[in-house]
Amino acid sequence: MSSAGSEDISGFSVDVDHNPYLPEGSGTVDAIVSITVGSDVAVAAAPTDRVEAIIVDCSTSMLKPAGKFDGAKRATLAAIDELSDGTYFIVVCGTASAEAIYPPDGTPTRANASTRKEAARAVDGLIPYGGTAMGTWLAYVRDVVDRYPGASASRMTHAILLTDGKDEHETPEQLQQEIALSVGKFTCDCRGVGTAWRVDELRSISSALMGTVDIVADAADLAEDFAAMMRTSMGKSIPDLTLRVWTPAGATVEFVKQVAPTVEDLTGRRVEVSAQIGEYPLGSWGAEDRDYHVQVAVEAAAAGKEKLAARVTVVAGEQVLGQGLVNALWTADTALSARINRRVAHYTGQAELADAVQQGLAARRDGDVATATAKLQRAMELAVESGNDDKVAELGKVIEVDQRTGTVRLIREVAAADEMALDARSTKTARVRKEKPA
Amino acid sequence: MTGTFTGGSVTCPACATPVGGSDRFCESCGGPLFEVPEPTFERVAVPRPAPLDGACADCGTETFSDGYCTGCGHRRAAPDRDEAHVGAVVLVTDRGLHHARNEDAAAAGTVTGVPGVPAAHAVVVCDGVSSSGEPQVASAAASAAGVEGMLAALAAAGTTHAAVLAGLAAATRAAADAGAGRDPDNAPSCTYTGVAVVAKGQGAVEVTVGNVGDSRAYWLPESPGQPQQLTLDDSVAQELVTAGAAADSEAVQRGAHTITRWLGADSEAQPWADSSVRTLTVTGPGSLLLCSDGLWNYVPDAADIAGFCSGRDTTEAARALTEFALQAGGDDNITVAVIPIGGAT
Repeated sequence: MSSAGSEDISGFSVDVDHNPYLPEGSGTVDAIVSITVGSDVAVAAAPTDRVEAIIVDCSTSMLKPAGKFDGAKRATLAAIDELSDGTYFIVVCGTASAEAIYPPDGTPTRANASTRKEAARAVDGLIPYGGTAMGTWLAYVRDVVDRYPGASASRMTHAILLTDGKDEHETPEQLQQEIALSVGKFTCDCRGVGTAWRVDELRSISSALMGTVDIVADAADLAEDFAAMMRTSMGKSIPDLTLRVWTPAGATVEFVKQVAPTVEDLTGRRVEVSAQIGEYPLGSWGAEDRDYHVQVAVEAAAAGKEKLAARVTVVAGEQVLGQGLVNALWTADTALSARINRRVAHYTGQAELADAVQQGLAARRDGDVATATAKLQRAMELAVESGNDDKVAELGKVIEVDQRTGTVRLIREVAAADEMALDARSTKTARVRKEKPA
Repeated sequence: MTGTFTGGSVTCPACATPVGGSDRFCESCGGPLFEVPEPTFERVAVPRPAPLDGACADCGTETFSDGYCTGCGHRRAAPDRDEAHVGAVVLVTDRGLHHARNEDAAAAGTVTGVPGVPAAHAVVVCDGVSSSGEPQVASAAASAAGVEGMLAALAAAGTTHAAVLAGLAAATRAAADAGAGRDPDNAPSCTYTGVAVVAKGQGAVEVTVGNVGDSRAYWLPESPGQPQQLTLDDSVAQELVTAGAAADSEAVQRGAHTITRWLGADSEAQPWADSSVRTLTVTGPGSLLLCSDGLWNYVPDAADIAGFCSGRDTTEAARALTEFALQAGGDDNITVAVIPIGGAT
C-alpha cells in the first residue's frame, strides 16, 4: 500500500508508505515516512553560519602504539583542509579537562590560508599528556556555542570527537549529564581509534547529539575518515528539521524511529506542543534522504470508516516544508488488512537486527554463550533475509554457521576490532526501495 | 417564422440579406429562416461529493483539514446512499456495508427538443475496479463522459447504436485521462454499462446497450413478457461458462469477479468488442435496469429482479433492490439505475 506524499517545495518531499487497511477492532497503524531533501534545496549555507569544533584526545595513551597520535594530528589537519573558507573553527585538546589548541584564546576563527597554517603549527606541537573526561570536552564545545558572539538560530555547530580510551576521569553520571545539557546545542560525530575505547560510551554521545559513531582501528586511516566527515558536515545546510506529528483525539504515538540510514529511537525526544501534536527533532540536513517508522495507536472504528491516524509535517524553523498523511481504513476484508507493508516489515526487521547484534555482543562479553548464540544467530538470519551484506560479513567474524547443518557457534578468538566494528555499526540499516503495490 | 422585420421587409437573421416572407431558407447564405429548436439537456450523476461544510458527524468538531476532522480524525465522508432523478429515470448508489468508500458511479441524462425525437435517454453505470488505484475517479469520469457522449449523438438525431458507440469512446478517453499523473501500473479503471433509449412511436422503444466489464443491463417487461439479461459479462467466469463449464463449478465461482475488459489508462485502445453493443426494440410497459455487481451478486436472475419492479414505481423498485443487497450482505458497492419504458416515458 502506498499513498502519494507531497512535494510542497521543489526538491523536498515527504512520502508515506503503509497499509491503511485495518481489521475491525484493531487500531495499530504503522507507516514508513521518507523525507528527501534534494540538492537544489540544500544549497550551501553561508560559511559564517557554521562553527566546527575538532576535539582531539590528548591523553597519555595516545602515545602508544607509535603512529597513533601522528594519525590523529594528520586527521585533524585533513579535516581543517575540508573547511570551506570563512567557516569558523576551533581545535580542542581533550584530557581530564579541555582546552583550546587553536585559536589559543578559545574563540573560533574563520578558516583561510593563514589560519589553516597557524592551526597546523599548533596541532603539530601537541604532546599528549593527561587523562580522559569526555563530558568536559562536550561542556567546552557547549561553552563555545554559548559564548560565540552573534549567535543566531540558523547557525550550525558541529563537533568531531576522537578518543582512544574509556571515559575515566569523571563518573558515568557526569558524562550523561553533560550529554543531556548538550542536546540541541550542537551535533557530534564520534570516532574511536584502536580498540581500548567503549562503543556504548561513544554511542551514547553520538546518538543524543545526532551524529555518527564508528571505529577506526588503524590510526593511518583516520585522515581519510575525518576528511569525509568534514565534507559531509560542509554539505549540511538546514540546521534543524523537525517532524511534527498530529494524531487524532484519543490516539497515542507508540514510537517514532529513524530507520535509515541508521536506527535511532526518537520516541523519548518528543516535545509536546499540544495534546494532539508532538515534535521530534531530526537534526541538521544536507541533500539526503532518511526513513522513519511511525507507529500510532488509534481508537478502532467500524468497517467502512476512514480516519486520519497521523499527519506528519516537516518543519524548518517556522517554515512548513511538506507533509504526509497516514490514513486508516477499517475493512472486513481480511485479504486487505492482513497485508503487511513491505517496507514496514523490512525496517521492523532492521531494528530487530540492531537490537539482536547489541544484545548478542553484550551477552558474549558477559560469558552467556546460549543467549549470545541465539541473538547473533537471529541477527544473521535477519541480515541474510534483508540483503544487508555488510552486516552478514561483520557477523561472519563473530559467529560460524555450519553450511550443511545450519548450526551456529560463537567463534572463540575474535579480533577486538571486528567485534567493535560490528557493535558500532549495528544500527546501520539496509535500504529497501520504495514501491507501489501489485 | 422568425425572419427579422425591418421597415416592412424581412431579412435573414444570419446575414441580413432581405428575404421573401414565405421562404424557409435564405437565398444568400442558406441559413434557416424558421425557428431552430434548441435541444434541452438535463443530467444527473451520483454519488455526489461529500458536503464541504458542517460539523463532524462523529465528534462535532467544526474544523477539517485535508478532508479529515481535526478532532477525531474521521474523514468527512460522503453519505452512504445517494439518489438522483432525471425525468422518470432513477439512480441509486450505496457504499454497501464493507467497502470504505463508494467506487461505483452512475449518470443519466435526457435530451428533448430534437426534431423527430420525442425524448431520448442516456444512462450509464460504472463500477471502479478495486485492485486499481483511486478507481472512483475513473468511474465518475467515465459515467459522466459516457452520458455526455450519448446525449450529444442523440441531440444530433443519431441512432441509439451510434450514441452508445460515442458514449463508449468518450468514456474510454475520460477513464484514461483520469489516470493522468498517477502510477501507470496502477491506473484507475472501471467497468461501463451504458444505454441509449429513444421512443419510436406506437409504444415501440429502441434501446442500445454497450457493455465493458461485469456491470449489467436487464430488460424487465411486465408479465407476460420474458425478463432478460441484455449484457454478457466480460469476466473469466463468463468465458468459462461460454466454453461449457458449469455455472456453479469451482473454477467459474473463483473467476466470477475477474474481469477481462475494463476502461482505464491501461486498457486496450478500444476496450469493447462489436458483440459488446446490442440494439433491440422493445414495447412497454416494463423497465430497463442497469446495475453493478454489488446488486446482481445477490440477485443475478432477470426474473427475480423483475419481481422487485413489478407493482412498484421506479424509485421504490431501485430502493427495494438496494435494500435487498444490503440485507443480503452488502459486500460491495451497490448501484441501480431504472428507466421506465412505456407509460411514464
